[in-house]
Amino acid sequence: MNLAKLKPGQKGKITSIGSIGPLKRRLMDMGVLVGEDVKVLKVAPLGDPIEVSIKSYNLSLRKKEAEGIAVEVAG
Amino acid sequence: MSTQLKHKDEELDAEVSGHSAAARTITVAVAGNPNSGKSTLINAIAGTRLHVGNWAGVTVEKKEAFFEFGGRKIRLVDLPGTYSLSPYSQEEIVARDYLVHERPDLIINVVDATNLERNLYLTVQIMELGIPVVMALNIYDEAAEKGYRIDDKAMEEMLGIAVVPTSATKKTGLDELLATALRVADTPKQRAPKKLNYGEDIEVACDYLAKSFRSSYPALIDHYPQRWLLLKLMEQDSHVMKELGLDNLDFLDQALHHLRRAHGEDIESIMADARYSLASGLTHEVLHKPELRQTELTERIDKVVLNRFLGIPIFMGAMWLLFKLTFDLSAPFGKWIGAMTDGPFKRWASAILTPLGAPDWTVSLVNDGVIAGVGSVLVFVPVIFAMMFFITFLEGSGYMARAAFVMDRTMHSIGLHGKSFIPMLLGFGCNVPGIYATRTLENPKDKVLTALLVPLMSCGARLPVYVLFVGIFFPKNSSTVIWSLYIMGILLAVGMGLVFKQTLFRGEAPMFIMELPPYRMPSLHSLCVHTWEKGKHFLFKAGTYIFAVSVLVWFLLNLPWGVEHKRDSYLGQAGAAIAPIFQPVGFGNWEAASSLITGVIAKEIVVGTMGEIYAPKKDEKKDVPTLQEDLKEVATSFGAACVTAAKTLLYLPQAEEKEEDQGGLKVAILGAFTPLSAYAFMAFVLLYMPCVVAIAAMRQEFGTWKWAGVGLFYQTALAWTAALIIYQGGRLLGLGG
Repeated sequence: MNLAKLKPGQKGKITSIGSIGPLKRRLMDMGVLVGEDVKVLKVAPLGDPIEVSIKSYNLSLRKKEAEGIAVEVAG
Repeated sequence: MSTQLKHKDEELDAEVSGHSAAARTITVAVAGNPNSGKSTLINAIAGTRLHVGNWAGVTVEKKEAFFEFGGRKIRLVDLPGTYSLSPYSQEEIVARDYLVHERPDLIINVVDATNLERNLYLTVQIMELGIPVVMALNIYDEAAEKGYRIDDKAMEEMLGIAVVPTSATKKTGLDELLATALRVADTPKQRAPKKLNYGEDIEVACDYLAKSFRSSYPALIDHYPQRWLLLKLMEQDSHVMKELGLDNLDFLDQALHHLRRAHGEDIESIMADARYSLASGLTHEVLHKPELRQTELTERIDKVVLNRFLGIPIFMGAMWLLFKLTFDLSAPFGKWIGAMTDGPFKRWASAILTPLGAPDWTVSLVNDGVIAGVGSVLVFVPVIFAMMFFITFLEGSGYMARAAFVMDRTMHSIGLHGKSFIPMLLGFGCNVPGIYATRTLENPKDKVLTALLVPLMSCGARLPVYVLFVGIFFPKNSSTVIWSLYIMGILLAVGMGLVFKQTLFRGEAPMFIMELPPYRMPSLHSLCVHTWEKGKHFLFKAGTYIFAVSVLVWFLLNLPWGVEHKRDSYLGQAGAAIAPIFQPVGFGNWEAASSLITGVIAKEIVVGTMGEIYAPKKDEKKDVPTLQEDLKEVATSFGAACVTAAKTLLYLPQAEEKEEDQGGLKVAILGAFTPLSAYAFMAFVLLYMPCVVAIAAMRQEFGTWKWAGVGLFYQTALAWTAALIIYQGGRLLGLGG
């Protein structure tokens, strides 16, 4: 399962970050780290990007960028 | 720097901070996350003393202020807002290069108290540099309102840096922040922040690396902050490795070998984890949140604003309002400035110069060159101010990020960013504020690409040209023809966007990853300071170029002095010289070519020049108003402008303007153009090089002529090609020549 596939309201725990290079570093700098809890809040009206809550703040990213983030769905 | 030199430096430091300390200027760098209120804090501290410019060679804005506080001279340098100090973005590289190479006396780290953990991640990295740090624990009031309790004393203890709670919007804690900064800067010995423990594995590797590195490269380790350098080496930071000319260090591999094996991850992840662990641990220790969490205002607003069905209509409404406010509100003032420079100012100049015995050409140079030049700069001031004010409001309130979120799907499909929409939209009113609005885009690639495409949006200044030609050649389908030009601009922007993506902007597409900050009410003071900064910047920096070109055009138009016929002026000669270029596109005559030259100042001037060439007005003797009448006019017309602006806001109907009589001009144009060549001409006016003001804006925004030059050449080439296709294609289809 990856973050892009989660529905609004679904929560998960990040298990790995498959992205590489600057994208991976940027994600990590924004607090997207393995073991972190993440919740999808919204999908933009046109279907992309998505908004997630992580490290108690809100982050938006394109689905393509979220695809590399593997999550374990919780609840 | 050798060890010996460094010692001397420290001695000097100690001496300076002793008796002669007061004479020294203290350099304070301000660093922090975007949305941490850093700009507001700087605006509140430095206000109008801020100077805005660019960091050398990059499209990143640099703000700086010199002022005195507590009898001491302070130089405040605002670093770009960043989340980290990685080597991947221009902003981050600018910030860290400054900190590493310029070594400010002190860093003020602005931290958002409502978002402590992610902000502390940057703090941890800043502390690696070994430069004294004072933390501004900003947005403290909002955190307190939410029921957060932050133990700032414990934080001081754990980090070894001073922490001062502040609220930039309410201007609290700012004096204490500066006083603390001075105190820390003056206490040489115990002023370095604590060395944080990154965990045993990393520390062991770091020690090992320190030994090996010191023996192999003794010079380097003294030149850089040691802790920072070692950590960057461990991360194999591409920017540092390149700067040092290092790669494939055997001992580095050895140092990292164990670390990699123990963690099973790449080093960058291990380091990010270690830093975030410190930030989380610290947050856990010092922050006490209330148990019960209320549904926050931001959440409630976003439920509506980002709603699946309402999101887009609300966005459209917001954009309509932005456009309306920016242009309609500023237009009466722009017109007022135009009328003033055109009327009273010129009359006053003549009234002063003529009795002094100034020759006619001097009077004309002052009036039609200098005053008209100043006027052409000034008329843009209201719209720039209005645009900056509303854009800054959108940004500061948090809606800008939502607008990007809603629009990104559409804009990304043509290779742009969600935030590109606003500059493009403003471009339809006037390209200049559109170009300035690209500053809301963080990534330089997105920013430059957007600015290059903005001038393809058909601005208000092109409209008079269309209206004139459509009225003559397409009176029955006038609106369809004008619409087709707008659409042509948009389609070509899409096409050129794709072309640029494959050529000048090849490589990895910029990322979207963006914080959606909580909604906040921006402080009016900060909005005004920011608007003033940009307005001033435009006036004096961009204004210089615009003014110079206006004067140059006067020379072209009026020299040799006393020419009977415009054809004999330098402008006419220049027009005749380039006219053959326009032969294949349908308007190879000197009249059209000359008007295109003057149209470079502003595209609507094409109409004015054509008027002068085709149907010169005879000098009419008008009653010259007295000085008193003039002064009265200045005041009353300003009052009228205010009323018009207010009416616009309230949607009251306004008096229509009278159209000028253009009879003679119309007949002449009918003879010189055919419907086909007229359409090709309009397309050319739409597309050819942006006006001087837009070019000056690009030069100013990007700190280099490069992108302004690219814009100038590609657009002119595009315009010629499009006109060629229209004209020759039309002829092939038998639409007449």
